[in-house]
Amino acid sequence: MRREGSPFTGVMTVAFKEAADHMTSARMHLIMLLVLLTAVGAVYAAIGEIRQTTAEDPYLFLKLFTVARAPLPSFSSFMAFLLPLLAIALGFDAVNGEFGKRTMSRILAQPIYRDAVLFGKFIGGMIVIAIALLTLWLLMIGLGILLLGLPPSGGDMARGFAYFAATLVYTGVWLALALAFSTVIRAPATSALAALSAWLIFSVFWSMITPLAAGAIAPVNPLDPMTVLGQVHVQQALARLSPVTLYGEIAQMLLDPASRSVGPVFMSQLEGALIGSPLPTLQSILIIWPQIAGLFAAMVLLFTGAYVVFQRQEIRA
Amino acid sequence: MSNRKLFRGALSACALLACSPALAQATSDTMTTDARPHGFWITTPAPEFKAAPGKQISIPLSVINDTLSPRRASLALDGLPKGWTWTLKHGAMEVEATMVNPDATEALTLDLKAPADAKSGTYALDLKAAYDQGTTDLPLSVTLADLPAANPTLKPELPALRGGAKTDFQYKLTLENPGLEEQLFTLDAAVPAGFEVSFKKGYGSDEITGVPVKAGGTETVTLHVKPNGSVSAGDYPVKVTATAGGKTAEADLGLRITGSPELALNGPQERLSGSAVAGQETSFPFTVVNRGSAPAQAIRMDATPPHDWKVAFDPAQLPALDPGQKETVNVSVTPGAQAIAGDYMLNIRADAPGASQDAKFRVTVNTSTVWGMAGIGVIGTALLVLAMAVLRYGRR
Repeated sequence: MRREGSPFTGVMTVAFKEAADHMTSARMHLIMLLVLLTAVGAVYAAIGEIRQTTAEDPYLFLKLFTVARAPLPSFSSFMAFLLPLLAIALGFDAVNGEFGKRTMSRILAQPIYRDAVLFGKFIGGMIVIAIALLTLWLLMIGLGILLLGLPPSGGDMARGFAYFAATLVYTGVWLALALAFSTVIRAPATSALAALSAWLIFSVFWSMITPLAAGAIAPVNPLDPMTVLGQVHVQQALARLSPVTLYGEIAQMLLDPASRSVGPVFMSQLEGALIGSPLPTLQSILIIWPQIAGLFAAMVLLFTGAYVVFQRQEIRA
Repeated sequence: MSNRKLFRGALSACALLACSPALAQATSDTMTTDARPHGFWITTPAPEFKAAPGKQISIPLSVINDTLSPRRASLALDGLPKGWTWTLKHGAMEVEATMVNPDATEALTLDLKAPADAKSGTYALDLKAAYDQGTTDLPLSVTLADLPAANPTLKPELPALRGGAKTDFQYKLTLENPGLEEQLFTLDAAVPAGFEVSFKKGYGSDEITGVPVKAGGTETVTLHVKPNGSVSAGDYPVKVTATAGGKTAEADLGLRITGSPELALNGPQERLSGSAVAGQETSFPFTVVNRGSAPAQAIRMDATPPHDWKVAFDPAQLPALDPGQKETVNVSVTPGAQAIAGDYMLNIRADAPGASQDAKFRVTVNTSTVWGMAGIGVIGTALLVLAMAVLRYGRR
């Protein structure tokens, strides 16, 4: 039977309601408190380090994101590690939670299609994440101006904003993953555990798994040095299956203007190159564009999977 | 009355001259063999001379006292035609009388000036010195004539010099003033446009525009010529003049510049940077300029690119480039296909026999946007999949 009208009627209503719910939930408050504390701590440590070691740098502000002082990691590594947690907290019970509370049938009793529910939940989550990240980003810049005593340059701002956008996409991947788990798995605890395992595997264990897998796929022949390169390429390709790796490469290229490549570089490619000269912002973005596109596509595809599964589910009152 | 007095003075002078041997004999026996006359005289090395009307001439005088006591003599010039002026000087002081110690000589100068309209001819003058025991005199003969004034001369020690376009040429010149008076000579030199000229006195360091030369004296002047640095090779004339009182001394000097080519390489719009895309050819118009003073022959263009890069020149060789001329060379740069983005240094060289120039050209390699389009394609595909899912499963 053919139904009339746009399938997206009411998406924004659901999205704003969802965002409002997240904003007031204790879960969100706790996780944001954690993120804020670590971020402020990392930036404060970075500023102390910059004051001690860096005399002059055309991109001093970007160093706020990358410089670390032991034992704390840098701001960008904190973000890579903790933002998936925020996304999982927002999304792990998005669909199965409604089933658990038996509210799904009530929502669908409204004059909206099922599409609007899942789209609205995803967009609502993204709104909350965007607000949180924007706050964090402005907080960083404010702290930088306050403690470093100088305004960020245009290049700093452009790169910082590109980094902010890439971070939003990266968090979106994790939100889509959590949403997919919450759709596929009926029990919220199980879906939370599944999402957390994916997070742990990609952020902690993936860097240990890839060398093993690469060694098995492309073994090194000691007599042929090119096999070493082949193994490096295989290992890099495997590592890039993880969104954490992609995000790390994006952060490196965007926040360090002097870096030119994320892959292995031959000495012959560096002949005549002026090491340390900053790259134009657009060139940096162009180099890292495949990673950004990959993250964005992964987010869309994960959501599509969740959407297809959700649309085919049977819903009873 | 005065004539009689003069006559008596002359007599007494003769008497003194006559009796002086007897006096000497009386004072010392050792001087008896000395037949030399003793007395009081005025002498001059120039008793007869020529002078030009209207110009002052100076006649040196010696007043000799060869007697036993100091003598005071009042001096007067007789026979002076009307309008003539005279003064006697002892050093810078005007005097009318002089006093000479025994066995001593005083040097005096008689400055004499005939009026400008005085007639030519010979005039007899008599300088008289009246002292307490008599008078001595010095007859002088002045012939007034329009003397042709001698021209000053300027002689270079080495009249022709050779050097590069940046050499400081130094000519030593001797300026002679044969005139009767000290003159201030104004120095000037005519040189080709753009050359710098300065005069110095002798080996001094002060730059001068004129130099005083004493009557009959010489002065050494050094002329410095600095050619315009971009002048082409060849011979250049330098004419030096020294002018004083309407008379000019000239000297013609030769200056030969041996040129050498000097190349300069300029990038597009005078910049030494440009951007290119990895694996794609980009052309930069370079300019080769000959800033030297001689033509450059067979200029070869060359570059030392990084590995895998290609650099081509159009034309690869310039047959000749005259001084001041410029020629455009298109430099086609193809960065290696594997070149990573960023700045690279490219050495571009123009080589000619005797001259070469390096230019460090900074090439910013941009990544090809092909991968950017591929990324958009990936995102587009993902969105297409989502759209198809919505079409297939939407509106439930």
